[in-house]
Amino acid sequence: MTSPHRRAPLADAAGLTPLLAPDRSNSSVLRVALVYLVVGLGSFLLMGLLGLLMRLDQGGILVIAPVWFYRVMTLHGAGMVASILLAVTGGLAAAVSATTRLSARVLWIALVIYFIGTSFVILATLVGGFGGGWTVLYPLPTHGLVWTLDAALAMYAGYLFIALGLLLYCVHMLHALARAHGGFVRLFALRFLFSLGRDTRDPLPRPPELIAGVISIDGIAAATAGMLYLVPIFLHAAGVMSVDALYAKNTVLLFGHTMANLSIYVGAGLVYAALPAFTGRPWRTTWAVVCAWDLIIILMLTNYSHHLYADFAQPVGLQLLAEIASYAVALPSFIVTIIGALTLIYRSGIRWTAAPMLLALGIWGWVFGGLGAVLDATIPVNQVLHNTMWVPAHFHTYYLLGAVAFAWGYLFYMVHELSDRRAARASSIAVWLYGIGGAGFILMFFVAGANSVPRRYAVHLTQWQMYARVAVPFVVVLAFGLAWLSWDLARRFLSAWRGTEGPALQS
Amino acid sequence: MQNPHVIFGVLIAMGAVWTLGWAIIMARSGRSIPVEQLERSENRIRVGLLGGLAAIAIVVFVLSLPRLPFAGSRRAELGPPQVTITATAVQWGWIISRDRLTAGIPIEFDVTSRDVNHDFAIYDPDGRLLTQVQAMPGYINRLVYRFSAPGTYTVRCLEYCGVGHHMMTARLTVARQE
Ligand SMILES: [Cu+2]
Repeated sequence: MTSPHRRAPLADAAGLTPLLAPDRSNSSVLRVALVYLVVGLGSFLLMGLLGLLMRLDQGGILVIAPVWFYRVMTLHGAGMVASILLAVTGGLAAAVSATTRLSARVLWIALVIYFIGTSFVILATLVGGFGGGWTVLYPLPTHGLVWTLDAALAMYAGYLFIALGLLLYCVHMLHALARAHGGFVRLFALRFLFSLGRDTRDPLPRPPELIAGVISIDGIAAATAGMLYLVPIFLHAAGVMSVDALYAKNTVLLFGHTMANLSIYVGAGLVYAALPAFTGRPWRTTWAVVCAWDLIIILMLTNYSHHLYADFAQPVGLQLLAEIASYAVALPSFIVTIIGALTLIYRSGIRWTAAPMLLALGIWGWVFGGLGAVLDATIPVNQVLHNTMWVPAHFHTYYLLGAVAFAWGYLFYMVHELSDRRAARASSIAVWLYGIGGAGFILMFFVAGANSVPRRYAVHLTQWQMYARVAVPFVVVLAFGLAWLSWDLARRFLSAWRGTEGPALQS
Repeated sequence: MQNPHVIFGVLIAMGAVWTLGWAIIMARSGRSIPVEQLERSENRIRVGLLGGLAAIAIVVFVLSLPRLPFAGSRRAELGPPQVTITATAVQWGWIISRDRLTAGIPIEFDVTSRDVNHDFAIYDPDGRLLTQVQAMPGYINRLVYRFSAPGTYTVRCLEYCGVGHHMMTARLTVARQE
């Protein structure tokens, strides 16, 4: 007989909020969160195989026709952004669900809308032959010459549904959080913030709740930018109006760049939620935490235009603002979140299993990718790096070795907590393989970028092929590490799934 | 600031400092002490980092101002352009009004596109990216540049523009100044 009190071993030990609410009211939310994470990380693995295919092509090892390369590139990009965002938002829903009543039904509906969107994207690329890039930069999608207008409209329809799915998630999350905390002033701890921490009358949100509020606002903003981009294009396709190329560039980047940024910030929220369970130290809502995250609401929406430095038509004032905002957004994340995480780990007596190792890997990768990003956000530097391999270098670093590592770490934490079975000891080796394979892989992007190799070329000159060839063995190591982690996960997943219903049903 | 190998060196140097700091914390994660003992030094570190990093950011920002690539800044830096050349992008090639140029004098490239977004990027004879500007439909972007040495330069498209993107090259022959 198992004792009904044998729950939440990690959270209990640290005196923290358990994943499963004591009244088990969030069982169904935890299940849909597990589905988000597993589907998201599963499609991440598939999209990763497409990435390997592209590197093999660029290395001249397995050459595919350019028309197929660009289809694969488009699917890889769109699929990665969508699947990583799905995984981390699932994790965040789980993280806030013990204290904030979320509707599992709304989360399932958002997932279905999201699926409709991704089905359109798959149809557009693989069947319709659409190869306009995941950035769908207008007017290329409607002017691709080798694919039809229908394929482009299918792609745009896919984005419309994905934006709607994100919008539903964010609106629901924001509404639920505001209700639980009694309004936005309390959710964002504004009195506490503006009184410099002296006014403590309002109960403070836990960090994952505050972060969920922040990313919901920016998610709504991103989805709105997506609509501002898509609606004129649909009207253009219907012959009603024409669309200005610079307007389109600004709106599509505000949409796409923010979508990509959201993943890493949601991922950071997962670190706040899971790391305390392993270090045995709570992550308190300090004034610095409130200030940093409230600032990010604004800063995340102002730095997208560092991708427009080469658009000399963009007003110079906006260009300079983008440079300042790009530096500014790095500061709260580094000084508050990264230093906070390191303090949580330092001399904590942490037990290094796969889950905290993945979180620690993500902390390393997030900062390393951030360094590459900040350099590239410096206008004169950007002149010689813009649209070289440096660009995929920096975002692959903070995706693969940042947000994705956080998502895997959080999923491992959930499974540990719900199944009461920790990761196998040997899985630590898998995390090392993930880190070493990933680091070698992204480093070759940076080296190629520093040698002026263009991004998004189906065919590489002989002198460029070397960089892709060196990257391939690292990708194989990475894939092996990820397959190993998936195996560990599969062994324990069923008992974690049952664990969402509480200990009584546990065998 | 504009040599990519130097920029790469800066990345590796900063990355090494970060990796070392990160590794030290990870190595000292055992032997538990109460978190309260860390709070004061954590705050000191935060304030120090905020001041230090903000100062670096301000210095880098100010240093970047005289090196902006936009037409006004380049004209101020190099003097008024003595030759104006039009470069028009089409899927998938370049229509350039003149491909024989002279080193040592400021040249203005008026760059636009007839169809989708492209990017006019000039590579030196050794394959290094020197300067670039977007080619946008409906806009003329003015790129002012001065070639420092004679040789054969390559124009490549650096904005993804469809299946012919990687083939979109042109040649510029730069002669010695008389
Ligand atoms: Cu192109």
